Amino acid sequence: MMQEIRISRFELTSAHVFLAVFVGACAVAAIVIGSFPLAASIATIFLFAGIHNLMEFRYFAARMPLRWGRSRLFYTVGIGGVIVLAAAYLTLYFASGNWPWSLDSWATLTAAWNTVFVLWLGLLFYLRGKQRPKSDWAWAFPVAFLLAALAWIVPQYWSLSLVYIHPFVAMWFLERQIRRTKPEWLRAYHYCLASIPVFVAALWLSLSGRPNLSEETNLFWRITQHAGSEILPGISSHFLVATHVFLESIHYFVWILLIPLIDFRAIPWKLDKIPLFARKGGIPKLVVAVLAASIFLVAALWTGFAVDYTTTRDVYFALAIAHVLAEFPFLIKML
Amino acid sequence: MKRIICLTTLLLLASIAGFADIARPDKTPGRITKPQKSIETSMIIRLEKDAKEAKLIIPKSQVRQLRAALDDLDQENDSTTAAVGGFSRTQTIVSGMFLSLAFVFGGIWFVRSGKSATKTGKTFVILAVIAGISSAATFIYANAGPPAEARSITGKMFSQSVHIYKFGTGAVRLETKDDDSRGIEFIVPDPADKPKSDE
Repeated sequence: MMQEIRISRFELTSAHVFLAVFVGACAVAAIVIGSFPLAASIATIFLFAGIHNLMEFRYFAARMPLRWGRSRLFYTVGIGGVIVLAAAYLTLYFASGNWPWSLDSWATLTAAWNTVFVLWLGLLFYLRGKQRPKSDWAWAFPVAFLLAALAWIVPQYWSLSLVYIHPFVAMWFLERQIRRTKPEWLRAYHYCLASIPVFVAALWLSLSGRPNLSEETNLFWRITQHAGSEILPGISSHFLVATHVFLESIHYFVWILLIPLIDFRAIPWKLDKIPLFARKGGIPKLVVAVLAASIFLVAALWTGFAVDYTTTRDVYFALAIAHVLAEFPFLIKML
Repeated sequence: MKRIICLTTLLLLASIAGFADIARPDKTPGRITKPQKSIETSMIIRLEKDAKEAKLIIPKSQVRQLRAALDDLDQENDSTTAAVGGFSRTQTIVSGMFLSLAFVFGGIWFVRSGKSATKTGKTFVILAVIAGISSAATFIYANAGPPAEARSITGKMFSQSVHIYKFGTGAVRLETKDDDSRGIEFIVPDPADKPKSDE
């Protein structure tokens, strides 16, 4: 009687390489950022902030259909919401110190902005659900109302949570994109995602007992404030800043490197992959003009950082709300 | 499509022009420097058999210092305190309204989706009812106050039986005095006819 013996050998695939590189890069980043959080914050924003916005814009341009068809309402609500919410946010941000309104009314207006933001998200989810066969995404409204209530009950924690949740949106994009164009990497990517809490826990173990970071300069104070040191005074700002920079770095890493790696349509110079540029009836001149303007803005941002880092950082983070908002319609459309 | 993109671009350009004249944000640490809102002093707590009520006596010099600190705080901004630690009426109303809407819309969605008819749905409803009853039970505990000893400021507050509550409340009369050599005095009634505390 013959018995078949099968020997399963380990075969190194691109998914294994991807996993190893991701975890290795995270480990190096966690060590460097944990050791020098303030310097890392300054360096990462200087180097990657503008470029990641450019890559993000390029990715969205490739995903924007020439004709909206039955998605017309979705895109109208999505893009309209981005414009209105971004304009309202900038008004609130820049007017808070100039216009004769009190901090109390400013807090109320901020909570109102947060409310409109979550209701807009709820509506986008609902509209997306209507496009999907046999789907009822009406649950989006009660969830949006619940989040709106939280925005009024704990406004400061709500705003801070957005700062920490935003990096994960990029990871979610990558997950959706891997499902579409590189499904063989999906499991490896899920392991990558699972490793992130481990790195955050390692940062906590090594940094939570450290004294707060220096706030002696205006810039250092702003960096620690951005990471939530005033809202969470019981937690070492060393840990908060390191965690924020660590997550932001992964966010930059995803947009600049990983998404173009798995989606050829996102490679910046492949303009023929952009429907608005390449297809008949498109607007190639406008696409080229906007991309050129974006490249100019990246260069202007670097110049600004070199001349006056603190001011440019403030202005950048105020204007960056537009890209934070723009992510949501495209992400929800991919669900 | 072209019209929408052109309109969007026009709106963005117009908004840039609109914001161009706005001064850059000023959030320097100096802008939120907190005035000193405390003074260092000493306090004596005295149990007096003859005292009829609890009295907190503050030297006038220290009241003046507190008033100066309060003036500084008022100048900074009254609403800062409210925004950081308080919970305004607007917050209560709006958050309550959105919580109600969340429950109403969630309930409608739950019933309409047919999930309430499934086994998981029924389990969820049972758990929600138990959670609701449990949260209602907190009202009972909330209304059950501490013993009388912890609700009046007397010598009994210092007894071991009241220590477990970690707090005590009661009426107190605030007074001022000219002499500030002994700092703040807190006089606690300690009637002789009642049993002494077991300290």
